[in-house]
Amino acid sequence: MPYHEFQCSKCIPERKQHAVVKGEGEDLTSALPLGYLNTIPGTISERGCAYCGAKHVIGTPMKDVIHLSHGPIGCTYDTWQTKRYISDNDNFQIKYTFATDMKEKHIVFGAEKQLKQSIIESFKACPHIKRMSIYQTCASALIGDDIEAVAQEVMEEMPDVDIFVCNSPGFGGPSQSGGHHKINIAWLNQKVGTVEPDIKSDYVINYVGEYNIQGDQEVMIDYFNRMGVQVLATFTGNGSYDDLCSMHGAHLNVLECARSAEYICNELRRRYGTPRLDIDGFGFEPLGTSLKKIALFFGIEERAQKIIDEETARWKPELDWYNVRLKDKKVCLWPGGSKLWHWAHVIHDEMGMDVVSVYTKFGHQGDMEKGIARCEQGALAIDDPNELEGLEAMENLQPDIILTGKRPGEVAKKIRVPYLNAHGYHNGPWKGWEGWVRFARDIYNAIYSPIHKLSLLDISKDEIPTDKGFETQRMISDADLPDEVRNSPDMREYTGKYNCLKDLRKKTYPPFEHNVLADAV
Amino acid sequence: MAESMQDKIAVLEDYIMKKCLWQFHSRTWDRKRQNENILGMTRSLLLEEPVSRKTPEERCYWVDAVTMAEAFRKRCPWLAGMSKEDIAVLMDGLFARIDHLTVSGSLNQELNDQHY
Repeated sequence: MPYHEFQCSKCIPERKQHAVVKGEGEDLTSALPLGYLNTIPGTISERGCAYCGAKHVIGTPMKDVIHLSHGPIGCTYDTWQTKRYISDNDNFQIKYTFATDMKEKHIVFGAEKQLKQSIIESFKACPHIKRMSIYQTCASALIGDDIEAVAQEVMEEMPDVDIFVCNSPGFGGPSQSGGHHKINIAWLNQKVGTVEPDIKSDYVINYVGEYNIQGDQEVMIDYFNRMGVQVLATFTGNGSYDDLCSMHGAHLNVLECARSAEYICNELRRRYGTPRLDIDGFGFEPLGTSLKKIALFFGIEERAQKIIDEETARWKPELDWYNVRLKDKKVCLWPGGSKLWHWAHVIHDEMGMDVVSVYTKFGHQGDMEKGIARCEQGALAIDDPNELEGLEAMENLQPDIILTGKRPGEVAKKIRVPYLNAHGYHNGPWKGWEGWVRFARDIYNAIYSPIHKLSLLDISKDEIPTDKGFETQRMISDADLPDEVRNSPDMREYTGKYNCLKDLRKKTYPPFEHNVLADAV
Repeated sequence: MAESMQDKIAVLEDYIMKKCLWQFHSRTWDRKRQNENILGMTRSLLLEEPVSRKTPEERCYWVDAVTMAEAFRKRCPWLAGMSKEDIAVLMDGLFARIDHLTVSGSLNQELNDQHY
């Protein structure tokens, strides 16, 4: 096993099993780190908790819902600005955050009264919202508050509201992944099947494991609408509570982030016979293949092909422009979750970059299998790295850019490694053909920003030049390119709009095909 | 240039490992089922044998199999020159290799853990 030992973790020998280098001739039977379960005492883990996994990652992207934390106010950290899962109803779910504000007196005397009061106050404060999710925290779980009973009592008193309870306290799992599991199963047990599906098309899917980061879901919905495929529910980005209650009515579950949401797909398969199709959502070729697969399932391949042809013709010259300028740049792909395998191969194939390292903070070994399988030889794969290991890896690998979360990203900036936010994005959406070019543009802007020339100077000892630092990105990126590439008439910079969602939301589509005769029979 | 049967299997394996996701379901029993059905259907498609796609589940396997068979034909022009017997041997070898990588030889300790 080609384990990698960090100098800074020599005193914690168990950490050696959590990092591997994919060497020559090695495959998954010889190169796979441990993952998920083993947070080692003595090391500092940067993992999130199970409550965070349930509420902040999976639950809160539901748009027409009051998301109430039954616990201390601090647990509601990570709402707007840190998780940009936007919605087409004015971002209600990220504009407001609700908590019962548990204090020490509640730990002693119980907080059920406080909970009931908070639920009623919240509904009164937002009279247009009639749905609520309540998330248990460590504090309310430890004192044993019966959240279900309180929710039931309120629903009896307020018959027009509906409440979902998620019991996933912070200590309920080794990482946020435990919370993903819990909310999947809780939603299925409590809610799926309680609302009759509104079927409008002959081709109906649930889009699962998509969280609408900066509008990703809306980009994909556009393609599905253009194909005449009805998306009954999106679990859970931009998803509606009642639509998600009717997930049992779909013909197919299309799964994107497997480790956060495969549980619900597997159970829908077991209980309702709905099959699961795993897809890739990023990059020209993988996305095209994904649309083709969904179309093939329904026998409407030509509709997918039309979209692929149109979008490729529109955006390929722009992707090519970035490809020649990003070629051979080294990237540490440290997104923490599924994007390590969604992006590992396609950044290499379509942007020409070398993925020198992948990591996940809470991913399962299955996530690592996918990531390592898709990486090129020599990549360093790390499970649950701490800050010191991250620094050591970057110092050794010398990446040109890092794609990661905001905490390791800020650390990277301190050692002058440009960083893009892989969770909340910089200028997304990054899905779709246009989105992939926007992503390439963001990477280009990060790597070639002239600021790096100045930021590398140490103002404590270096003299700051007054005649330098006025180069443009283009002057830096094109310096070594041959003239025919630099002046190519076939390639161009990104020409899309800053807010591409504005037009998407105004778009109209032909009505779905629905075979009324088949219904009558 | 893929010359030996082993080289040819390696090319197909590389495609599956880099471009597909179906082989990495999270349970041993699920992986076995995926490998058997999707690779089995791909084998039939390459050998021009009929495949059943009556149930939604079969249709799903078939979708992945059709996509893969098309990709194999496009990426591996040498497939067109192979006899049906050789294609059968090739696909059997590929099945054994994928089963080894994802199931029997897998280092994934979570595959049989009931808590996952």
